[in-house]
Amino acid sequence: MGQHNSSSSSNEMDSGFRILEHPSDIGLEVWGPDLAEVFRQAALGLTSILVDPASVRVRERRTLGLKGSDNENLLVRWLSEILYLYDGADFLVSDVEIRRLQDSSLAAILKGEKVDTGHHQFRMDVKAVTYHQLNIALDENVWTARVFLDI
Amino acid sequence: MLQKLDEYRYLIPKSFREGMNIEGLIYASPTLIKAIENDLTLMQVANVATLPGLVGRSLAMPDAHQGYGFAIGGVAAADLQKGVVSAGGVGFDINCGVRLLRSDFRLDAVRPQIDALLNQMFRDIPCGTGKKGIVSGLSDVELDRVLELGARWAVEKGYGIFEDLAHIEEGGTIPHANPAKVSRRAKERGRDQLGTLGSGNHFVEVQYVSEIFDEEAAQSFGLYGGQIVVLIHTGSRGLGHQVCTDYLEIMQEAMRKYKITIVDRQLACVPIQSPEGQSYLQAMASAANFAFANRQMITHWVRQAFEQVLGSDDLKIVYDVCHNIAKEELHRVDGSSRKVLVHRKGATRAFPKHRPEIPPDYNEVGQPVLIPGSMGTCSYVLVGTEKAMEETFGSSCHGAGRAMSRHAAKKDITADELLRDLKEKGIHVRGASKSGLTEEKPDAYKDVSAVVEVVHNAGIARKVAKMVPIGVIKG
Repeated sequence: MGQHNSSSSSNEMDSGFRILEHPSDIGLEVWGPDLAEVFRQAALGLTSILVDPASVRVRERRTLGLKGSDNENLLVRWLSEILYLYDGADFLVSDVEIRRLQDSSLAAILKGEKVDTGHHQFRMDVKAVTYHQLNIALDENVWTARVFLDI
Repeated sequence: MLQKLDEYRYLIPKSFREGMNIEGLIYASPTLIKAIENDLTLMQVANVATLPGLVGRSLAMPDAHQGYGFAIGGVAAADLQKGVVSAGGVGFDINCGVRLLRSDFRLDAVRPQIDALLNQMFRDIPCGTGKKGIVSGLSDVELDRVLELGARWAVEKGYGIFEDLAHIEEGGTIPHANPAKVSRRAKERGRDQLGTLGSGNHFVEVQYVSEIFDEEAAQSFGLYGGQIVVLIHTGSRGLGHQVCTDYLEIMQEAMRKYKITIVDRQLACVPIQSPEGQSYLQAMASAANFAFANRQMITHWVRQAFEQVLGSDDLKIVYDVCHNIAKEELHRVDGSSRKVLVHRKGATRAFPKHRPEIPPDYNEVGQPVLIPGSMGTCSYVLVGTEKAMEETFGSSCHGAGRAMSRHAAKKDITADELLRDLKEKGIHVRGASKSGLTEEKPDAYKDVSAVVEVVHNAGIARKVAKMVPIGVIKG
């Protein structure tokens, strides 16, 4: 499996995301000191697959509450939500603030703006977030997650 | 472990993994099986075999590659009473499929005009990432009509003619569609995407028939050497993707109630006869109808471009097939005739002559099976066979299947180099995105001819004609 760090990944060593490539799909590997940062990095990673993230400005804030059956399910729902906002409601997420994440539920503030076809640099259509090889783990104080997207 | 049955078939015995209720069977040549063994395809075929109530074998076609839950190129049939339906067994792009149009033009008449023709089609057919349709902003009522009526809705709106419908799988309308089972979110994703090609591997290709293998079948399908044809490949866009996403969640939740356990979350499933199973099938049919309408509208714009540039819009539909679908069909199982639900995830229905589902004018030859190759290679028309009914629930392969990651494909060649290479081969390309083009370069896929040889030699479809592209529109 090929890997390449996205130019948009965090400069800090303790959190970030990396794009995983495979013939039939594209994946995200994300890491951070806590689960909230892992969820944030996953959102940033998804945006960077959809568009050039540098082109997305913070012009609007939206609140979001979600509940999952477990953390993995919550991660799929979280990314599916961000994908839906882009593809179904024309809203691009530039950054997120996870206000609370416990017992497989989260509350977050999504920062971004409405899609502007003249301004945003689109990269790729993402069909959906999958459960394929989905994994969230804690190892020596570092949380990691891996999730694959159908493109 | 994997057992070679003959030159084109490999058996996955029940001992391959715990919990398999049926065997797995892979159609492949010695070369293709190596590629298939390289990723998770075999395990995914075996995983599918653990689902409750399946009959026959868990199948994979020679273009199979690793998917999500089901392998792409997978076929599985479930008993209607005891079996399950899995949203992952149809996949995210519900009724992604292909449609072939035939013209009365010959290659030499169209080749000099190919740039003008491509320019016109590229202007008229919305394609590429983030591109909205010309009919964006459909009302709720109108969108529901699309989901109920499929291609028929498009024809009623002036996109094409009623004769078109006879040459579409299901007549272009799956009758049990119920828009009430499609979420608001799915409708919002689809609303502005009706009549768009999309991106990725979706395309419109202008091709010519380069070889005829079966004169009788070719004649029935209206195909002859040197003839210009058009192949359209697209699906149900964001609407279908969201239907699958929604029902994966619904099925995961409902599985507990039905005490179903699965080995991969992407295989979430529910009993066919459960309320959730029936709701999914009605939502899936709605998304499939959206895809039929989508291909019908694109057909209309292709005809317009032919009219404008070449002076005739007389393009007839040879056929339109689904690649991702679940259908109730009558098959022989354990010696008796039974209705089963056939999941085709990246596979094509390939029914032989005299099946009631196929158009009357193809009754004596069988159903056209359309196999698109990768950009700039070649595509095939095959015809369904009796052997497919006996072995694969009337199914065959669907294309070439990816062999290289998109990133690896991009590293290999620049878009300009690729365009030059293709032009030297006589293939002109219009693409919405340069990086999208390189991701779809021909050798990022398996050799479609090798795939087609396997299904032909294994007897689960028969070669009729080969087509070579001269012009490509890429999303």
